[in-house]
Amino acid sequence: MAIKVLIVEDNPVARSFLCRVVRESFSDTIAITEAGDLESARRHIGLPDHQKVDAATDPFKLILVDLELPDGNGMELLAELARYPATKIVTTLYSDDDHLFPALQCGADGYLLKEDRFEVLVEELQKIVRGQPPLSPAIARRLLGHFRQGPGGMGGLSEPAPSGFQSSRPMPLGRGAPLDHERLTPRESEVLTYLSKGFTIKEIANLMGIKWFTVNDHIKSIYKKLNVSSRAEAAVLASKQGLV
Amino acid sequence: MDNSASRPASLHADSALDSGLIDHALGDDQRLSRWMGWRLRLLVVAALLGCVALVMTARWLAAQPHLPADWRVGAQGEIELVRTDDAALKPLEGRALVGLLNDNGQVAIVDGLALQRSPRWIASDAQRERQVDQHQQVAAVMGGSTVRVFFIGGRQVELALQPRGLARLGTMFWVLSALSLTLYLVAMVVLLAKPSMRNLLYAVASLCQAGSLAFMAVESTLQLGLPLGFLRWDLPLRLAFDLLTAAALVHAACPAPQRPAGGRHIAWAGWSIALLLAVLCAGGSLRGAWWWAQGGVLLLGLAALGLLSWSYRREPHPFAVVMRRFGVMAISTWLLLTIAIAAGHRMPAVQQQVASIGPAVWYVFFASLLLLVPFLSKSQQVMREFSLLAAVSTIATSLDLLFVAVFSLGQFASVTLALFLSLGIYSGARQWILNQLLGSNVLTTERMFEKLYRMAREVETHPERASDMLMQLLRELFEPMEAVVVEKATRSARVAGDGSTLVVPVPQLPGVGDGLPCSVVLRFAHRGRRLFTSEDARLAERILEQLRRAIAFDKAVEQGRSEERLRLAQDLHDDIGARLLTLMYKAQSPEMEEYVRHTLQDLKTLTRGLAAPNHPLSHASAEWKADLTQRLTAAHIELGWNLSFDRDISLTVVQWSALTRVMRELVSNAIAHAKARRVDIEFHLLQDRLELTITDNGIGRNPQAWAHGLGLGGVRKRVKQLGGEVEWKEAGALGIRCRVTIRQLSERH
Repeated sequence: MAIKVLIVEDNPVARSFLCRVVRESFSDTIAITEAGDLESARRHIGLPDHQKVDAATDPFKLILVDLELPDGNGMELLAELARYPATKIVTTLYSDDDHLFPALQCGADGYLLKEDRFEVLVEELQKIVRGQPPLSPAIARRLLGHFRQGPGGMGGLSEPAPSGFQSSRPMPLGRGAPLDHERLTPRESEVLTYLSKGFTIKEIANLMGIKWFTVNDHIKSIYKKLNVSSRAEAAVLASKQGLV
Repeated sequence: MDNSASRPASLHADSALDSGLIDHALGDDQRLSRWMGWRLRLLVVAALLGCVALVMTARWLAAQPHLPADWRVGAQGEIELVRTDDAALKPLEGRALVGLLNDNGQVAIVDGLALQRSPRWIASDAQRERQVDQHQQVAAVMGGSTVRVFFIGGRQVELALQPRGLARLGTMFWVLSALSLTLYLVAMVVLLAKPSMRNLLYAVASLCQAGSLAFMAVESTLQLGLPLGFLRWDLPLRLAFDLLTAAALVHAACPAPQRPAGGRHIAWAGWSIALLLAVLCAGGSLRGAWWWAQGGVLLLGLAALGLLSWSYRREPHPFAVVMRRFGVMAISTWLLLTIAIAAGHRMPAVQQQVASIGPAVWYVFFASLLLLVPFLSKSQQVMREFSLLAAVSTIATSLDLLFVAVFSLGQFASVTLALFLSLGIYSGARQWILNQLLGSNVLTTERMFEKLYRMAREVETHPERASDMLMQLLRELFEPMEAVVVEKATRSARVAGDGSTLVVPVPQLPGVGDGLPCSVVLRFAHRGRRLFTSEDARLAERILEQLRRAIAFDKAVEQGRSEERLRLAQDLHDDIGARLLTLMYKAQSPEMEEYVRHTLQDLKTLTRGLAAPNHPLSHASAEWKADLTQRLTAAHIELGWNLSFDRDISLTVVQWSALTRVMRELVSNAIAHAKARRVDIEFHLLQDRLELTITDNGIGRNPQAWAHGLGLGGVRKRVKQLGGEVEWKEAGALGIRCRVTIRQLSERH
């Protein structure tokens, strides 16, 4: 069975380029769906009709979303796809943390810089799908700040976290203990600190005396925590405003 | 200003004390009211006493017997009848008086001296004795019920004596008594408001002068002889008043804050001289008593001036300068008056005039100075004009009298000449004094505005230096001897310490103030030659307001500018970036693709520089490393990265983008042309000297022969932009080493 891939990109040239990248990256049979704007992307996925969206029907396994689309920002789509089981990747020209960090918070599993060479893109895409997302020093710095402050400015390392919001994870009952998804383990913090200083994954593995894929696991876990914590944050915000 | 650097600690304490005192005086209402309670009552009692004394004196004078005639001193020192309402006397107008005889048989033979008002202002001992004698004779004669008046040529008229009545006391009496009463009240207010040694001395001097004025007021009612007994007190008391005033001034002029050991002795010496002279002169045991008294006052006055100069040298309090200026005016006019009277005593007609008007003018002038002293820092403008005017009118009168006395000029000629001269002095001195007070190099408005705006700009970039810069601006404005920043909140600019100190709050600027509230304390305006006034405080307030506005304005402009930059960056990135990307995907050859990619990366660097004005070196280097690692790894080239810096400086946009592009270009070369297996990058920033070395082990040789295309030319251009040098050399057996050296990275931006 072919693997379903959705590419959301308004520039046709870039779209066909990304198609080539995707086909080059995987040996499986690929069925690529292309969308030029958010509207058609939603149509293809079946949003906003949520009942249709579940893993039983044949969902997209991989979604590439451009951030700058004619009818809105790709982050909107990412936010809507928060529970969609595909690997979501942001494709963009922006490499700075101001643009990428919010995208990661919205649940992106990685990002590709569109101006990179074909071979580089192929390699990066394979890495992301394998679970080795990129993390630039600037974003690592941003992440450190994010988790140090506590998401949404609440629940730092020692403060009790507020309860009363819904999360996709079971909530720890112990009041006063910071929630798991709101803080980093010491190892994760260390990895982030090294990343923010420009060290490569191999160098970090050497410095910390661990295997490179362990470093990678930490990075993946940080990605998840960021996504979950920001979703929790959004839920808290929503419950505060009486939306949930 | 060098003083302030050498002793900031002591100044700090002093200033805090100053403003603390003011706070205490202004803020603690409850305490104030409790203290003011009994003092206010005392003051009211004192005022009542003064008024009662005035009324009693007036009633006593009104009850004195009176001859209905006006007299004056004739050319030969005889008494002439000038004018009368009495029918019997009327035909005798213009005749000279010989003597008086009353119904009890008492006789008084009089000449011009009987019209001389006060023995205090008669230079010769013999004349003074005769004057007192004559006054006593006249007073005795006036004790009868009728008086027979004898004129030269045997004419005589018998007159009945009647009480004088309040209406006939004359304007002069009321004016002088009012001034005397005012001075007395001010003295009491000053003394009761804050009982201290200095205020006590001020009160002594003022009370003495008030006494003198009271005597003069009584004497101004003189017609022919003064009431019995009055003259016995006149000489000793008025001598004592003058000498004691001088002694009090000497004492007050002793340097107060750090009173030297000698100060006390000087003060005591002053008091002893004054008392001794007063006793000796009044007792009549000293020949030439008047000369002694005048000399004594002059000596003490000069001593006070000397002490003021000395204390000014020890601590340049502008108060001392102002007081010295007053002192010089008072003493010089005193000297002028003394000379005028000494010159005039040979001509009886002139002397009477000189001796009655001259001292009166001088005492009024001196009293006005005394009245102004407590209010110096409050109303400098008024004080300045008034004291100038008073001084000039004193000089004019003295000169007038002197001309009449010495050159025997006609009345009109001498008045004209004196007026002319003193107006000349006034116009000349006015400019000089104004220059003295304001300082010749006052900041022009234009320059002040320029400074203000430059300061606003600087404060924006270095908010922590706001207080220092404010201090500098105020320094240039007021030229104080000392200026210091204290950590103390002040609500508004104000004058403290009798005008010696100006306290200006450092404004809590928008977006700046997280520090403690501070104030700038300035002491001794115009290098200690001027007192701060409430106008200065207002000016300082206005400057602060302007500064606040300027900064707010600059902030708004800067914000607008950065928004504009951000929008520009966004547009460039979105539009041109997307086009370049399309172009890149459609490139016909790998070279073209690489070229466009390069352009696209340059565009991204540019737009990022536009969006973020500053890049910490540590952040930038981390990104360089990550970026270069990724690119080199993709090309299967190993990266050796060695970075060190002694200070994590903040790179400007220009530095950041230049360094980013230099490194990217050099690494691109290594990837594209050199076919290197390894690239080593050394980046060292030590003491502002930057050394960047990029070494590859590729096939490139003989760099001197290279044609510098767009790439290497660009590297040269960027390095030159940073004020550095770049050179390429062969590195060992294989490859090229490129070395970039920037000696002073922070020198250019």
